[in-house]
Amino acid sequence: METFRQSRYSSNVATAPLVGMIIALGAAVIPMGEKVAGWVIFGFFVACIARIIFNRPGARLPSLPLKLLLFAGSVGGVAFSYGSALGIEPGFSILVALVGLKLIEANGPRDFHVLGLLAFFLALCDLFFSQDLLRWLYVAIIVLLVLATLVRFHRGTSPGGYSRSTWLAMRLLLQALPIAVLLFLFFPRVYGGFRFQFSQSLMNIGGMSDRLSPGSMSSIALNSDVVFRADFPDGNIPPMSSMYWRGGVLWRGDELTWVLGPFFSRTEYHPAPMSGPKIRQRISLQPHGGRWLFALDRPTEMRGASYLPGGVLQSKRAILSRYRYEVTSLPEDRETRLPSDQMKAALELPAHLSPRVKALVASWKAESNNPAKLVEAALRYFRRERFVYTLQPGSYNDANALEEFLFERRQGFCEHYAAAFATLMRVAGVPSRVVIGYHAGEYNSLGKYVIVRQSDAHAWCEVWLQNVGWQRIDPTDVIAPDRISSNLESYLESHTSQSDATSGERSLAATGWREIQHDLQLAWDSLNYQWDLHILNFDEDAQMNFLMLLGLGSVSWASILIWVLIATALFVGGLSFFLRRSRSTVDKVARGYAGFCHALARAGLPREPWEGAQHFAARASAHFPEQAELIGRVSQLYIELRYGRGESSAERFLTAVRRLPRFTVTSGT
Amino acid sequence: MLPPSETRVWVWPNSRTLGLAAVLVAMCYAGASQSNGAAYLLCFIITSLAIVSLVHAWTNLHGLDASVESIPPVFAGDDVAAPVVLTARKGGSHFGVQVSVSEGAPSAPEGAVLPESPTRLEVRFPSPGRGHYRVIPLRITSDYPLGFFTARRHIKVAHEFYVYPAPHGDLPFPLAIAPTRQPRDGVRHEGDDFGGTRLWRTGESQRHIDWKAAARNPVLLTKQWTGETDEILHLDWASLPGLDTETRLRQLARWVVAAERGFETYELRLPGKIVRASRGDHHFHACLRALAAFESPAAD
Repeated sequence: METFRQSRYSSNVATAPLVGMIIALGAAVIPMGEKVAGWVIFGFFVACIARIIFNRPGARLPSLPLKLLLFAGSVGGVAFSYGSALGIEPGFSILVALVGLKLIEANGPRDFHVLGLLAFFLALCDLFFSQDLLRWLYVAIIVLLVLATLVRFHRGTSPGGYSRSTWLAMRLLLQALPIAVLLFLFFPRVYGGFRFQFSQSLMNIGGMSDRLSPGSMSSIALNSDVVFRADFPDGNIPPMSSMYWRGGVLWRGDELTWVLGPFFSRTEYHPAPMSGPKIRQRISLQPHGGRWLFALDRPTEMRGASYLPGGVLQSKRAILSRYRYEVTSLPEDRETRLPSDQMKAALELPAHLSPRVKALVASWKAESNNPAKLVEAALRYFRRERFVYTLQPGSYNDANALEEFLFERRQGFCEHYAAAFATLMRVAGVPSRVVIGYHAGEYNSLGKYVIVRQSDAHAWCEVWLQNVGWQRIDPTDVIAPDRISSNLESYLESHTSQSDATSGERSLAATGWREIQHDLQLAWDSLNYQWDLHILNFDEDAQMNFLMLLGLGSVSWASILIWVLIATALFVGGLSFFLRRSRSTVDKVARGYAGFCHALARAGLPREPWEGAQHFAARASAHFPEQAELIGRVSQLYIELRYGRGESSAERFLTAVRRLPRFTVTSGT
Repeated sequence: MLPPSETRVWVWPNSRTLGLAAVLVAMCYAGASQSNGAAYLLCFIITSLAIVSLVHAWTNLHGLDASVESIPPVFAGDDVAAPVVLTARKGGSHFGVQVSVSEGAPSAPEGAVLPESPTRLEVRFPSPGRGHYRVIPLRITSDYPLGFFTARRHIKVAHEFYVYPAPHGDLPFPLAIAPTRQPRDGVRHEGDDFGGTRLWRTGESQRHIDWKAAARNPVLLTKQWTGETDEILHLDWASLPGLDTETRLRQLARWVVAAERGFETYELRLPGKIVRASRGDHHFHACLRALAAFESPAAD
């Protein structure tokens, strides 16, 4: 075989499988790119190219001292780059460097298989960074490539090369699926106990923070990462414009910057009795590293989460992996009593307040001291004074940001309006607080769920009105009403296209195309969501539910495993039978000859039970002289196949049988 | 003994299986500790692939037939070269096939064993002790398709071959016996023609030693003249008392080799077996076969 040669330091892996393996390894390294030092990636690809170039018979591979030097160099280099050789990013860098080193020294069947295993391991590492469907399909392609390469390696110089190998790899994958599904459903899942979490630093976690300051929302406004997806099991979906996904409540404000504020004692806080229509939501939250649990405005208490005084849910530990929960919200629920410490917190004024702001509020108070009237006065001010809703509000000077915003620049994003409005209300003596979370989202009509992205981040305000309770006021609604009725993306789109409406026709075609694109995106997202729901979320609990559904809830794991083993064994037995049958052409030969005899029997010449093939052929040739040649050929091939030394071709025999005409006596007598 | 194509195929784990198991455990651990369903799925798919590849490894050797063409005899200690013919009996192709015998290095055919085209290859293995063998235990292995399992099949091919005792020993030749005349002094007589050379024996005249040949060959040869050649060399088991069987056989083998090389007429006498006086290639091998088969320890 081409893969076996003697010398220890010379290359002896055939080029074709080696190149395939290098492509697979390279593909597996690419997604790790951002967590691995750049020079390591560069070195890895240099090693790939060098290994291919030097892969000719007799070429010398690096000697042991050189390898040790390279190893020490790369570990030292990584330690120097990161300041330490420990940790996640140095760890991945060293892993990639070692794979590169293994690659240059690989020279034999054993090393080749080690490379295959390393490719599998790198594929696993890719799944640490992202687990969505796209990434998984990418990993599946890497696995397929490794399989094809291994098959190619073992086929040696057999004809067919990569096309046959890939075909077999695909068949292997297909045949493996039933067992994989079986294992996936029934293999006992264990989570917890030995948690070793490092997802936080691997996944790109971002989004909402615990404070609201100018720019904190607009900075993520163009980020289309999915925050969560929500479906409504009861089918009652509130209108988009009233979908306020509550995340956190900010009590302490200073100018335009708001933070979480005091921690209230739970003893004084009594949630009001619940009333009004209920909206049940099932939310699949992407890991965000914080403890926010989003839910539609006024969530009720939920198992496994704390219910904070602001009426928000908080996870007991940071959300570092996908989290799915079910929560019920009551959109019309109101508290009737405000505990004194909350009242105090909701009226606390910033340390320094500009006299112009005070004067503005005093002018409203002069008209009416009614809180509802004051709210209206403030909103009217925003509406009348040409405030601009923009993604680029520019930066405000911290010291007198509020004054600058209210009286001079008048440009802001939702956080500016919510913060300014809440401060104005406090100055007017109306208790207020800022709520952060997400607004609306995108409804996926295919999957019947709502996708909420970072770009849907929003901040709004709540004021306490006697006999009404906390009332939501969204100042952004006043400034840019169409922003609230649609999402940001389409808002920005419609507002920019107005400014350059040059060619209407082209934009019409573009719109059509964009719609198709959008539909495809929704379909893909829907698939991704199903993937999330059914594959990624199939954990201990989901598995238990599934077993209960099958009526296996009380069956022990041991017996389930035994059944899985039995089913696997049956499948393996069936598969081996099928493979043997499909390989075997002996049966085809027998069937072919039987067909030949049958055709002759129908023509009036049955084969006698004692008759050998040769004798029968002679008799048939005499009977049908016109077809004597064909009869002779079929019989000859059959005899060679059956009794010869196995040198004749089954294919040739079968072709000859297929060419047989209908036997007729043409002698005319 | 089963017909070759019916012997069982066994699939065994190998060192790579361990490596694969380690990677699978890592995947399972990642799935559990990171609650990473995707890692679990990857782990299960690769596990299933390994199981399926096991079935493919098994079928790959199924229906592969092996036979051996005539094996040239060798002296004990030399490598046996067995010409093996692999035939795909049941219509499938067989990939990555390697054939070995006992501790011999495996040899592999170029490419696959395809149906309709028997593949020939030479399998070399260190010769077992001298003897007459009737069965060759072929070990056929293949790591196809993925290499994580090795399919193995032991086929015992019925085929005779001889391993001659290694020629060894430096005892002098027994004296030749001329059945009709007295032994001659080896002196050249008028009118005799040169008739080749034969081994020089101690006590003979040194006048006819072929000194030119002596420079090339450690065995001294003496020039022979017509009329001398009807002497018969008796290589007799009984002439070597006090030695154990194998030493005797080796000594006899050495004499046979030397006698053949020296164009002698020789007769081999073993207890229960006499190879009548003759010479030439056929006779030479008949003698060595008799030595190899003598109380042959390898009955099968």
